[in-house]
Amino acid sequence: MKKRLYLELENCIGCRSCLAACTQCGGHEQRNRNYVYDVNPFVNRQTMPLMCLHCVNPACARSCPAQAIQIHETGAVLSALVEKCIGCQNCTIACPYGIPKFDTEQNLMYKCDMCIDRSKDGIPPMCASVCPSNTIQWLSDEEIEAKQRQFNLNNGKWVTSMPYLEGETNVKVNLPGILQGVTKLF
Amino acid sequence: MQRDKFFKEIENVRHPNETLIKTHCAYCGMQCGMNLRVNTQTNKIVGVEPRYDWPVNVGKMCPKGVTAYQQTNHDDRILKPLIRDDASLKGTTKGFREASWDEAYDLVASKFKELQDQYGKDSLSVFSGVSMTNEKCYLTGKFARVAMQTRYIDYNGRFCMSSAAGGFLRSFGVDRGSTLPWTDIHETDCLFIAGSNTAECHPTSMFRVWHVQERGGYLIVADPRETPIARRADVHLDLRPGTDLALANGILNLLIQNGYADEEFVNDHTNGFEETKELVKEFTPEYTSELTGVSPEKIIRAAEIYGKAPNAIVMFARGIEQQHKGVDNVSAYTNMALVTGKIGRPKAGVATFTGQGNGQGGREHGQKSDLLPGYRKLTNPKHVEEVCQVWGITPEEMPQPGVSAYEMFELMEEKTIRGLYLLCSNPAVSAPNQNFVRKALKGLDFMVCSDFYLSESAEYADVILPSVTWSEDEGTVTNLEGRIIKINKAQEPIGESKPDWQIQVELAEKLGRGKYFSHLKTASDVADEFRLASKGGYADYYGATWDKIDKQDGVFWPCRDENDPGTPHMFLDKKFYHPDGKAKICALPYRPPAEEPNEEYPLRLTTGRVVFHYLSGNQTRRIQFLRDMCPEPYVEVHPETAAKYHIEHEERVRLFSRRGEAVYKVKITEAIRKDTVFVPYHFGHEQSINLLTIPALDPISRMPEFKACAAQIEKLEMKKVQ
Ligand code: SF4
Ligand code: SF4
Ligand code: SF4
Repeated sequence: MKKRLYLELENCIGCRSCLAACTQCGGHEQRNRNYVYDVNPFVNRQTMPLMCLHCVNPACARSCPAQAIQIHETGAVLSALVEKCIGCQNCTIACPYGIPKFDTEQNLMYKCDMCIDRSKDGIPPMCASVCPSNTIQWLSDEEIEAKQRQFNLNNGKWVTSMPYLEGETNVKVNLPGILQGVTKLF
Repeated sequence: MQRDKFFKEIENVRHPNETLIKTHCAYCGMQCGMNLRVNTQTNKIVGVEPRYDWPVNVGKMCPKGVTAYQQTNHDDRILKPLIRDDASLKGTTKGFREASWDEAYDLVASKFKELQDQYGKDSLSVFSGVSMTNEKCYLTGKFARVAMQTRYIDYNGRFCMSSAAGGFLRSFGVDRGSTLPWTDIHETDCLFIAGSNTAECHPTSMFRVWHVQERGGYLIVADPRETPIARRADVHLDLRPGTDLALANGILNLLIQNGYADEEFVNDHTNGFEETKELVKEFTPEYTSELTGVSPEKIIRAAEIYGKAPNAIVMFARGIEQQHKGVDNVSAYTNMALVTGKIGRPKAGVATFTGQGNGQGGREHGQKSDLLPGYRKLTNPKHVEEVCQVWGITPEEMPQPGVSAYEMFELMEEKTIRGLYLLCSNPAVSAPNQNFVRKALKGLDFMVCSDFYLSESAEYADVILPSVTWSEDEGTVTNLEGRIIKINKAQEPIGESKPDWQIQVELAEKLGRGKYFSHLKTASDVADEFRLASKGGYADYYGATWDKIDKQDGVFWPCRDENDPGTPHMFLDKKFYHPDGKAKICALPYRPPAEEPNEEYPLRLTTGRVVFHYLSGNQTRRIQFLRDMCPEPYVEVHPETAAKYHIEHEERVRLFSRRGEAVYKVKITEAIRKDTVFVPYHFGHEQSINLLTIPALDPISRMPEFKACAAQIEKLEMKKVQ
């Protein structure tokens, strides 16, 4: 059963375990590829992770003059191929979320590849595996639909980016606020 | 296999030339399951892989857990015994030379003998810790009493779990940190969490906590700070540090007044209700609000939610326990469950978040000044008799009870204690009132320290013995649920380092006490003797064999024999451990913190952890990722308070109390009370917040009041004129 990365930003506790774990997938050479932001640090402790959303029609790949950014059959948008990347950094500007990172020493772009060696076999990426708060989850489409039903707001609107933020993405994101729609037990 | 809704069948990734060793994290009481990746050619640990099938954390880990493997082959490891001949260099990292084990042992044995000949057996002391296996904790207690023959042994649990222990013993007659397994948490209807920064200190509990709210259940959090868990609480009881007892009494009063008491349960299974009811009457919402600073509306709402909830769990941690009334706080919050009868069944109960990896097991088996294995008491002749039989000594040879951790430093200062064997702890960072403690350590005639890194405390040693990390030895630990689990060895000890149990067996030989230890050749030999020594005690581990632990995903104590599966839920038969089988509802008069703010010291200082570091930071400050994330301590200040002192974000200020001072960077946040400042305690030397903390001890647990003292801020920098 195909699974996707699903983010429930409200849950994030800012532990950065997703960053620490990113280096552990084997193909990532001890460099993490995602981000965690303090949303409003002077006011409260809300944080949120941001990783590549694996766009269906990725701006990064489109902007690449060397076709260095490949799209895996699972939909994962891969890190730049060493032999093709010319280091122009177009992708870092093209991505609407500022995801691709650049290694100036190697003159090479690197980004989240959804831990492709894990996810191609249905094994969750490292960030989703370790996230202690279930901010980052690895779910089937049915499970994601159930989430969508569960977090329906009283006002009839979704507090969610579903189906997508800018363009359609393979990763599904739920913005803070999901709890507003929950009916209390008593 | 216990499978709940979070359990997913996932196969682990296996990298080429690697094998996976299943084990648990090196750090906190969650004891998250993890797999260590070991290179099969070099036989070295190279990384971590989630352990998806461990029922408590189902693969999840905090950043400490993810990077824990980096400790083992770290450049800072001590590879050989170290001796320092020049005592004037104590308190620095200087002057150590490498030595052979024999030379180090001989020096320790001769110094110990010299001191004991001159000043008596009790001139030596042992200060230990509970971030190590039950086997090591057990043997350390035996080593102190049988090999060193001293009464002075105590451990860092006095700075951690001793108040929870004291409170549970008084309320239930038994001290098991949680009355239910962690897999119940997400299924309850209300979590009442007091003094626990769960999201940072026990992060892998959080997916269960959030799930309670996702189901429509309630989360109530009592904390002076709006911590990441308090951020989402249905009610955040933002109390003044050190006023928990008033809050708990106030809520209990409302529960009773509003008819939430379970009369049948109270009558049949508890004592002390009437007296307590009378005492808490005074704690009206208005009076409670006056004492705690929490609005009456919030107190009323919290009591209403807890009272109405079909099932609820009361949970707490060091926030309420590290006070000079920590034991009372524990019993007072436990009262809520006893009065409403929300205990002794699944999804309802009481739990403390155990701080250290083996904070539970390590306090049960004889490292505490007055305890023997199996939670037996040194003051009980029958208990002493039972343990003497296992140890092969006579009751006359058993030393008397000693004193608590902080009090040992007082005895060092006054030269009653002259020698120290320190292991698995770093009191030169973690003890309160550091100026005093460091002076006491420096004044010792002789100190031997066993550690795998040169900690701030090791800087005071004459001899350092290189011990191993958790991944180079095996044994059991008891997690925060009371579940006994197995730590497995993933690689051979590096350099000449040795596990502490082996060091003790070998050192006992040099001390002429070899016959009591020489049969212990492996960790499993120690385990067998330890299980036997616990047999018949409250904390009975006899039936918890390594084999059973492996088959059952851990064993909850008590587990009395081979056929006993263990006890995941406590008190299901409504039988408590006091002689009459009843629990005690405790009438506890309120006392304010030992040191209240005044004009000179107007701020309330509280201390705690950040998610990136563990305890004194001796381990985590050396891990690159964790250090990058939190390189130095800071003082958290509310913006209105900052404005009063004309201080700005990231500015350095002097923070001081009656006992000491330190300079910290300011971190401005609205997520803290205006009358309170917070500093994380993981840092050493001049950065240690324990230079300021107060050694006011709880009368029962001897826990220092780390969580509340009076302090003042002084501005250092003048604003640059543009
Ligand atoms: S691991 Fe999860 S909770 Fe922690 S920072 Fe990342 S997304 Fe947030
Ligand atoms: S989020 Fe950015 S990096 Fe990821 S696929 Fe889309 S455009 Fe590319
Ligand atoms: S430190 Fe605690 S919560 Fe974090 S991984 Fe280790 S055991 Fe789990």
